[in-house]
Amino acid sequence: MIDLTGIELPPDSPPPRSCVRLERPEPGLARLVLDPPHRTLAVFDAPTLRDFDLVLEDVENDATLRALVITGRDARTFAGGADVDAIAAATDVAFVRRFIEIGQRLWDRVAGLSRDRRGFTSVCAAGGPIPGGACELALACDRIVLSSAKETRIGLPETQLGILPAWGGATRLPRRIGVPAALDAILTGRLLAAADAYRRGLADRVVAPEDLVRIADGVALGRIACPRRGRRGIARYVVDRNPLAIALIAHQARKQVLARTRGHYPAPLAALEIAARAPLTSLESSFRAEAAAASELAVGPVAKNLIRIFRLSEDAKKLRKASDGSPVRAFERAGVIGAGVMGRAIASLLSERGIATRLADTSPAALDAALLEHRAEVDGRRKQRRIQQHEAQAALDRLDATRSITGFGRAQIVIEAVAERLDVKRAVLSEIAAQAGPEAILATNTSSLSVAAIAAELPHPERVVGLHFFNPVKKMPLVEIVRGPATSARTVAEVAALALRLGKTPVVTADCAGFLVNRLLGPYLDESLRLVAAGIEPARLDAALLAFGLPMGPLRLLDEVGFDVAKHAAASLHAAYGARMTPCDVLEAVGKDGRLGKKTGLGFYVHAGKRAELDPALLGLVPRSAARARTLTDAEVAERAILAMFAEATRALQEQVVVGPRELDLATVFGLGFPPFLGGLLAWADTQGLPTLVAKLERLQSEPDVAARPGGPERFAVADGLRELARGNGRYHA
Amino acid sequence: MSARPPRRDVVLLAGLRTPMARAGGVFAREDAAHLGASVLRELLARSNVDPGTLDEVVAGCAGPPSDQANVARVLALRAGVPEHVPARTVARNCASGMEALTSAATSIEAGRAELVACVGVEVMSRFPLFYNEAATRQFERVSRARTPLQRVAALAGFRPKMLLTPRIGIVEGLTDPISGLVMGKTAEILAREFGVSREDADRFALQSHQRARAARDAGRFAREIVPHLPLGARAGDRALEHDDGIRDGQTIEQLAKLGPYFEKPDGRVTVGNSCGITDAAAALIVSSAQKARELGVTPLARIRAWAYAGLDPARMGLGPVYATAKALDAGGARLDDVASIELNEAFAAQVLACVAAFDSDTFAREKLGRGARLGALDPARLNPNGGAIALGHPVGCTGARIVLSAAHELAVRDAELTLATLCIGGGQGGAVLLERVSS
Repeated sequence: MIDLTGIELPPDSPPPRSCVRLERPEPGLARLVLDPPHRTLAVFDAPTLRDFDLVLEDVENDATLRALVITGRDARTFAGGADVDAIAAATDVAFVRRFIEIGQRLWDRVAGLSRDRRGFTSVCAAGGPIPGGACELALACDRIVLSSAKETRIGLPETQLGILPAWGGATRLPRRIGVPAALDAILTGRLLAAADAYRRGLADRVVAPEDLVRIADGVALGRIACPRRGRRGIARYVVDRNPLAIALIAHQARKQVLARTRGHYPAPLAALEIAARAPLTSLESSFRAEAAAASELAVGPVAKNLIRIFRLSEDAKKLRKASDGSPVRAFERAGVIGAGVMGRAIASLLSERGIATRLADTSPAALDAALLEHRAEVDGRRKQRRIQQHEAQAALDRLDATRSITGFGRAQIVIEAVAERLDVKRAVLSEIAAQAGPEAILATNTSSLSVAAIAAELPHPERVVGLHFFNPVKKMPLVEIVRGPATSARTVAEVAALALRLGKTPVVTADCAGFLVNRLLGPYLDESLRLVAAGIEPARLDAALLAFGLPMGPLRLLDEVGFDVAKHAAASLHAAYGARMTPCDVLEAVGKDGRLGKKTGLGFYVHAGKRAELDPALLGLVPRSAARARTLTDAEVAERAILAMFAEATRALQEQVVVGPRELDLATVFGLGFPPFLGGLLAWADTQGLPTLVAKLERLQSEPDVAARPGGPERFAVADGLRELARGNGRYHA
Repeated sequence: MSARPPRRDVVLLAGLRTPMARAGGVFAREDAAHLGASVLRELLARSNVDPGTLDEVVAGCAGPPSDQANVARVLALRAGVPEHVPARTVARNCASGMEALTSAATSIEAGRAELVACVGVEVMSRFPLFYNEAATRQFERVSRARTPLQRVAALAGFRPKMLLTPRIGIVEGLTDPISGLVMGKTAEILAREFGVSREDADRFALQSHQRARAARDAGRFAREIVPHLPLGARAGDRALEHDDGIRDGQTIEQLAKLGPYFEKPDGRVTVGNSCGITDAAAALIVSSAQKARELGVTPLARIRAWAYAGLDPARMGLGPVYATAKALDAGGARLDDVASIELNEAFAAQVLACVAAFDSDTFAREKLGRGARLGALDPARLNPNGGAIALGHPVGCTGARIVLSAAHELAVRDAELTLATLCIGGGQGGAVLLERVSS
């Protein structure tokens, strides 16, 4: 029996043996069913681990058994892995290590059954999500039989949460499927569909969900032949157990990981070291390495922040329910008006995700290009074997183009993405409103106009909402749902459900200029430009913010956004918020002669294909301000740009542009690319200490170059809410 | 005779077609279901009809692709018609698109349906090549081989000729197996019997191009056509907006230079005075008059009568005369009452033979069994917007296209009656008589 000392059972835990059930369907066979009454999807929390231990002991003590099948409540429910919340709450390394060792030992006892008894076979029969600890349990079994249903997803996503697969996963996966495939699985954290898992040797058999238990029983008892898939033959010796090959593979993988994480994320590196050497190491010492590394990682700040963001994005999924918790309608038919860059991408995405979409534009050329881009995209997915031929065909059939605003009578939601002019948007939406059905939602993809103003003359403002996608639509993970003064809660829930279906994370914002993301982006980008004007070399500026952890520097970002778009956004922020948003004149001075950023091939960088290099001719164009800034350190450079963003965030929070600090952090990570390992803008502020930041903001206000310029001190002014919180030595996140 | 229940009025609610593209051209990579589904989907959206309320989808197609035996069902589902709506494919060779319409109308008339979507579609570019008999037998031998040695022997039996002389689907499709004549030869027979000269035929062909061009430039076809961006289009390609068979600069001299195609050297039928091989689709929505009122839609036309007639397969080109006579009788109308006629231009010689037969008392007596001729066809009322010689003849689509075009002529000419009729390979004719609906 395992020792659960120190692992607290919550007071409302179900009674012993109620979470895991032992069935004996026929002589010699035991079936272990994960079925905890307190969870919809089993999680390996204290009560479930306790019961797993008890039931496993029964199996160990019964010498008549020669086969074990481990399965879930049904063919689409197995287990969700270790208790992430417990890991998130843990601060004591020794405690986490004990928790890890309990799981390791339990799973290894499953493996031990076949090690210790001749002819004993254990089979894991699972469907639905099988992530992390659940996958590690499967790896401890002799055979893995998976349901072929679409919901089946198996893998080891731990590194994405800043930890590593420490219940034997980092050890057993490379032994089972070979080092190269295991490294790919562990370092990307990707969850695989059943067929992919079979192809990679992780699953030994894929069966219809209705047959899952019957076939697993047969495999366990030897009635049904099921050879182990993962056997790698000679590669086992030439690659997996060849120290030279392993050193080479590990070296390459390390280089790739560092290129991707730029050293900010310790977990993939730690996982890599263990997994690469697992076939050359004894189980015992590999497990010890797993436990030591994972417990250190789990109590560190990166894992805490990553798990928090995972939780936040999970919580955002609750937005798709109506206020009474009931699910809202799923759209089948949509319209998109405007086949520009945004409109066509939105329409293509809707069609890919199963919604019949009608795209309107007055320009036939734009429509033709939109259809061809959609076809190319879908065809690309087909060629990558991510979808099958008939699915690709259906995705093509779901996008239609029309040159006039006709035929939208049956659309359940129409999203406009026409020119950013109030009169144009109003005209288009009222034309739609005249033909749309009584339930149809009218959404605007505006980034700078007020939803209230757009909705003002429409017959049903309660069904008008802002749905702000970011460019490029298919890559950017955030969607701002802008709630106008009249927008109904149901409308918000329905578009949130749509955003989630499109694979986006929704954040609900108030109807203020720039909403949240652009409102924070404005002062950040402008402050960056002012630093350039003050003599900070462009290369240094971008490098400083890359080092801070952002995915790209501000100048590179401006190139992506486009100078014209950035100027327009800055002007509308200035008009709305006054002095503190005063734009500097750098873009005006630089953005001449077709220099508009990536789309013209020339911005701060010279763009050629995917390559971009800073344009040396640029410095001559930048107007110089009276500078003192040259003496700033790299860290100070980054900090000044981030503080401009932070000061605005505290004001937005105070004005309740989003519900609270959690939503604000989520938006900064998914919308601004704020480094996930820092946990979001306000989590970063908490780490810095609010009193320190208040002092820094105050010092910035009196910097000569800031104080001298219009709106300088206002930009770094300390919001009342922040001052109050700092005075009590408080934090944004408890 | 027992009293029959009164028949219900059938109306044509709306229709739309793709441009007609010369085979092997811009629609060469198309697929019948995709082409048919796109135009049906657009028609359903524009007419604001909930596809779930359709009673049926009927598609006419003379040569459905081998992977779409019931192409109607495939295109219906791809057009977003829900699963509970049944679909069937009908065939009557060149009149398959018309058959889709008339068989739907029959159901509505009989009270078995209220609202039906009809499609005529043909992608002649994709008519297949088949292995010839010898190759087919050799493949059978390979598949029957039991031992590796037998297999090698069977494979060794292949000869280049087996693989390089395929049967050509489109040639076989355009040949009548009863008379053994390819369609062009039936037109040569009519040209001789009715004394149609090569010059007459070429002049008629030229007029077809000129009228089609004028109709296109005047925006007349914009009522019918939805531009189509075909499968296989590449980045930078544009949707096809107009029928691409219309030759703007066609001259009588150019036509005169062409040699006879079917009977060398003295025939009168050339590729210039015959219809082109073409890819296209057309969709129509038909309903009971009652249903149209419920939907609040003013129909394009009432379908007053229709008829099919059979005749000598070797003279199939006269089918329109036989069918029109029956349809006019059924509709209680005379040829003079008809403001315009869409008479499918399979061959210029065949159309001119029909014109002669319409106006012949002898023909009426001997072939139609009626006392007097149907009447003279005023050239201005015959194919006022050109016809298949300019636009093309995508076999299964044409019947639906000419009905749609004739229906629009009611409004264009502010007329009471128009007619669409065509000849059908195998020796038949079909005709649909349309009547204006007062709103």
